[in-house]
Amino acid sequence: MIANSQLVGSMNGRERVLAALRREPVDRTPVCNPTSVATVELMDLVDAPFPEANQKPELMARLAATSYTELGFDSIMPIFTIIQDSSALGCKIQWEQKDNWPTVKMREPIWETPDDIKIPSDFLTHRDTRCVLEAIKILKKEYGEEVAIIGKTMGPWSLGYHCFGVEPFLLMSLDDPGKTKLCLDRMKEATIQFGIAQVEAGADAITLPDHATGDLVSGEYYKRYLRELHIEFVEQIRIPIILHICGKTVDRMEYIAQTGMAAFHYDSKNEPSESVAIVKNRMSLVGNVNNPQTLFSKGPETVRKEVEKNLEAGVQLIGPECAIPLQTAIENLKEIPLAVTDWHREHTRKN
Amino acid sequence: MSLTVDLGRRIELVSMDPHFNDISIGLYRQNLDAGLELVVHTYSQRKGARERIAFIAGAMAILGGMKQLPGDYERLRFFSGADLPIAARRVFLEACKCPSGTEVKGRPLNIFDKKSQSQVDVRSLGNGVYQVTMEAKTDQAVKRAPAIAAGLVKLSGAKLLDALPPQLGFPDGQSKDALVGLLLVRALNVRAVLREEEATTSRGVLSAPSAQKE
Repeated sequence: MIANSQLVGSMNGRERVLAALRREPVDRTPVCNPTSVATVELMDLVDAPFPEANQKPELMARLAATSYTELGFDSIMPIFTIIQDSSALGCKIQWEQKDNWPTVKMREPIWETPDDIKIPSDFLTHRDTRCVLEAIKILKKEYGEEVAIIGKTMGPWSLGYHCFGVEPFLLMSLDDPGKTKLCLDRMKEATIQFGIAQVEAGADAITLPDHATGDLVSGEYYKRYLRELHIEFVEQIRIPIILHICGKTVDRMEYIAQTGMAAFHYDSKNEPSESVAIVKNRMSLVGNVNNPQTLFSKGPETVRKEVEKNLEAGVQLIGPECAIPLQTAIENLKEIPLAVTDWHREHTRKN
Repeated sequence: MSLTVDLGRRIELVSMDPHFNDISIGLYRQNLDAGLELVVHTYSQRKGARERIAFIAGAMAILGGMKQLPGDYERLRFFSGADLPIAARRVFLEACKCPSGTEVKGRPLNIFDKKSQSQVDVRSLGNGVYQVTMEAKTDQAVKRAPAIAAGLVKLSGAKLLDALPPQLGFPDGQSKDALVGLLLVRALNVRAVLREEEATTSRGVLSAPSAQKE
């Protein structure tokens, strides 16, 4: 919502993002990355390559800051991967190299039954969670007044995939809903603990990826298993939460909008105007510039068109749909804030 | 203050250079008043990175028959100023495969093709036109010539002018012996090139846990 077009430039990135997450007036639409915008070239620029940038707080903070210092985004998100919490829970990690994402070795699950679920006593002091907390502190100190620092804690559905394996977890959800709910209820403690620890470290908002993705899980599944848990997260983690689910999710946006989440980070498989119409200003939307076809494979002109499509639809925060491919060209990422600024300038002139 | 610079459109990237500290090296295409220019660039500040870029640009000049622009070691263009981004990408990728310090040599316009058990010759007919001929006269060799020409077209961005004998031509009408010699090696097995490209582009794309190959 733009209250007064003459105010363009009067807010800083932090104010802009937080206002948009509350659906309050902003001077211009913020450019926000609830997930990673790290690239191999940015890793070189600040000498903070993967996998070390996921393990050492100074490197993590340095790489994350480039989204603000180099790309001109209004937010900084230091948790590039989706494996930090799972690593601290005991999952085995394939760390990969600079040019690829670390992944959980899901063929080697650590849990089989609800009774196996135990949050380790060192969950928040493990190298890979501590790295996140320390990086947030560094970023808060250096950029906390001017730009929004966004944390990330994985939801229990995602943790279920990581800790039980995708297939066993999905089969359990079909065969034994009670057992599945018990598992989710126990795993949610990890989500809450890590989320609150990031709030205490200085995060302004938290992304909560919970991969009840459109390809494997229906909207009804979301309602049955996750809606109530997500309401609980909103109550427990007392800063704006940005829920992230990949894929086509219009069939569950109504339920998501009922949770009290500040925003939903949505995928390009969903039409911006349709999505805005479903959520009806009950939460903000963040997104949804396509990653593989647009940011990775096309040029700035196509990026600009997708940004404009979101702006025309009234999407409150603009950004890539998910963690961007590590080989994405910098000029495409820089085009996002440029396109947002130009669009607002154009609309100011018209008005 | 931003450290990134406007280098134009990136047309290729080597994410990890195996010959120099796994740095990332990009090839950019700039459309300037002075014409089209290609820029080899790394954002790495590591000692020796500049020298590595200079070596790659030099290797591109030899392998692709390109001109390094005076006073700027990382800038190149084809002699005619032609815009051949597909060919430039291939030249860049091949140059990045060369370790610094090694002698880089242009490749000849002939090669032995194992599949047809024949020598392949590519002859320049002038005005940027090349003809693929097979030394052997077997059926297999005759069938291979158009396939090799098609491979050269795919890898260079040239146009197929004639099917029999197979001829291809560059739009600027200028000879490109070095480039054709370089691409001839790969034109024998374009599928392998495409597979390699596919494997490279699928790296670095994050999948949701549900979509990951376990």
